[in-house]
Amino acid sequence: MEGKTPELPKFAVLQLSGCAGCEVSLLNASEWYDKFNLVYMPLVVSSHRVPDDVEVLLISGGVRNDEDAYKLQRAVRNVDRVIAVGTCAISGGVTNLGDRDDVREMFLSDAKRMHLPNLLAKTHPVDAFVDVDLYLPGCPPTPELFMAALLNPPDFKASGIVCGECGRRKLNDMRPKHLLGFQQGEVLPDICLTNQGYLCVGTSTRGGCRAICTRAGHPCVGCRGPSNGFIEKESAVWLENIKRVFERMTDIPSEEIDEALRSPQLSMFLFQFSDYAGGNRRIRSKEKVL
Amino acid sequence: MTTLTFPLSRIEGHARVVIETEGGEVLSAQFQAVELRGFRHFVQGTPAEQMPVIVPRICGVCSTAHHVASVKALENVFGITPPELACKIREVLLLGQLIQNQATSLFIFTMPDRVNVESLFHVDETEASRAHQFSIAQRALKVRKIGTDLITLAGGQFIHPVKAHIGGMAGGITREVADRMLVDLKEMLPVACELFDAYWEMSMTLRDRIGTWGDDEPTYYISATNSVKPHFNSGHLRVLSPEGDEKVKFTPEEFEKQIEFKETEYSYAGQTSYQGNILRANSLARINMTNEFGTGCADGYLKRFREAFGRPAHAILFFDLCRGIELVYAMERAIEMLSDDLNYMDPDIPYKPQDGIGYGLVEAPRGPLIHRYVVENGRIADAQFIIPTVHNMLAIERALNVVAKRYIHSDHINLELEKAVGRVVRAFDPCIACATQ
Repeated sequence: MEGKTPELPKFAVLQLSGCAGCEVSLLNASEWYDKFNLVYMPLVVSSHRVPDDVEVLLISGGVRNDEDAYKLQRAVRNVDRVIAVGTCAISGGVTNLGDRDDVREMFLSDAKRMHLPNLLAKTHPVDAFVDVDLYLPGCPPTPELFMAALLNPPDFKASGIVCGECGRRKLNDMRPKHLLGFQQGEVLPDICLTNQGYLCVGTSTRGGCRAICTRAGHPCVGCRGPSNGFIEKESAVWLENIKRVFERMTDIPSEEIDEALRSPQLSMFLFQFSDYAGGNRRIRSKEKVL
Repeated sequence: MTTLTFPLSRIEGHARVVIETEGGEVLSAQFQAVELRGFRHFVQGTPAEQMPVIVPRICGVCSTAHHVASVKALENVFGITPPELACKIREVLLLGQLIQNQATSLFIFTMPDRVNVESLFHVDETEASRAHQFSIAQRALKVRKIGTDLITLAGGQFIHPVKAHIGGMAGGITREVADRMLVDLKEMLPVACELFDAYWEMSMTLRDRIGTWGDDEPTYYISATNSVKPHFNSGHLRVLSPEGDEKVKFTPEEFEKQIEFKETEYSYAGQTSYQGNILRANSLARINMTNEFGTGCADGYLKRFREAFGRPAHAILFFDLCRGIELVYAMERAIEMLSDDLNYMDPDIPYKPQDGIGYGLVEAPRGPLIHRYVVENGRIADAQFIIPTVHNMLAIERALNVVAKRYIHSDHINLELEKAVGRVVRAFDPCIACATQ
């Protein structure tokens, strides 16, 4: 912006297949404007290649087609610090809900086009192709989280889990017998959504988002992924923990929770699961996740 | 034959323009959407009530419109009518979306074209900006942020909002919260007008340089807004003839009867038409259908626009000017709405889920958006997303043909073509993530 000098570190944003929500969130975080020289970000800048000497590269979106894979591998070649942002880049995201045989078949048979990038069988996370220095999960990460990732401000503090930032009270004597649908029923203010029978996974989801969903009365869908206690473990451990929380706080039959968490349709909203649910993906160490 | 490929930037999503030419003759101009994620497929089997959480992820720029359309489609399936207050708060949400979007399109996407720079961040280095003695970029981003703040206020968060519920809204807007927002909106309204005036001047300069506002044949127009004090939380669509007559007014249920849709083999996005005719949606369509805004500044700009360009107006770059008028209207209308009591009743009613078919319509910033769901056993059996950008596909291609003919000659190609391609596409403000899902 005003007074921008060429000495500022070069900053680029590679957009793969996604919704641009991460970019929109980044634009709302204004503090970086004066600290970086934005050299590549197709949403904002008319420049069609990532220059060679980029200091920080943010990658949003998942690898959905062969062009995404090509652009990704080219972009990271001479970058100091690679940051994967958002659920799509980190776990394949909401798009990866389509990683089911029935959907894949329907999808691929319907989607053949001449001279267009070829779709891959599933949406891959960025680290299936390149090394990542920092993961910033969230759908999308809030502007505050973007600033924490880019500028590492000394006063940034985040709770370990979403509950630590939610402010709703957990009650011992309010024990629902069945799960409520997301949209069904009245939401009481100030009282824990689990106590009210909503399938909220804030107890094991990493904090830092300031609990914007649960404070607005919507159950946490886990978009920030597992907290540090679970991130280096298999997804089964995360799921078991959510089940135990419900057993402790509610009288909902454990089969009901189990079905809700494990059936491919019902667990769709927990889209981080699509990647954390097994496979032979590399473990992401908690030091690398903001 | 020569094939020219233009990658596109400063639009939402991944697309390119491919022009084929031989001996100076333009054979074709294609607008290709090159991404696809497959929402229509993977939402099949989803519990219907989860749709308002999943579908905003179709697009982070338009997430509010998808959120509201989804809730309305499910209310239609379940046969319920939300309380009046919920409808008002949804309108506030959609106004926030309009402010955010029109500010983004005006300042981040298209202003750099007017002063020949790569991005908004370079606008302040130009002669056009120095004349104004203030940072255009900083002010523009502040105006845009007012839109996101308004979405946060009514929707819980500004990307992928959560507060529209089947049966209403998660809560009213208290006086205290509304008053805080009003202070900011009132502070930013004159700033938005000042920026739009600067934008208008830059556009005149551009017009003088290139000698056109983007000439193309007149088309039909489609919008879901009404003629006076436009609503965006709407119930009907209208089609306007090139002469400006209302041809038809219809509900989203009648959509398939009125509008034809087809896929193409060179793009992941489809195209729509009206009785075989090219359609246009977005700002120019709405302005051509608006008699009056009912708010002072916006009506002032509308009068100025009409006196200069007539009604209906058809040139391509008018889309951009119309977006500025709408930015001002959305801010003024939001001030009006937040000045009223938006906390006078419970904005949510109970409902019982049932199976069936439902339609949800809103006027999104880019035009009418319809979600159509078939619900069986509480799960989504089929979902269709009828996307505003898709209504503009044929119009974009015809306009690209016009610029291609203008700048491609038998002995040379004027490289202004590259800029012209960008200007034409950006005037329509296409959203590729939405168009392909």
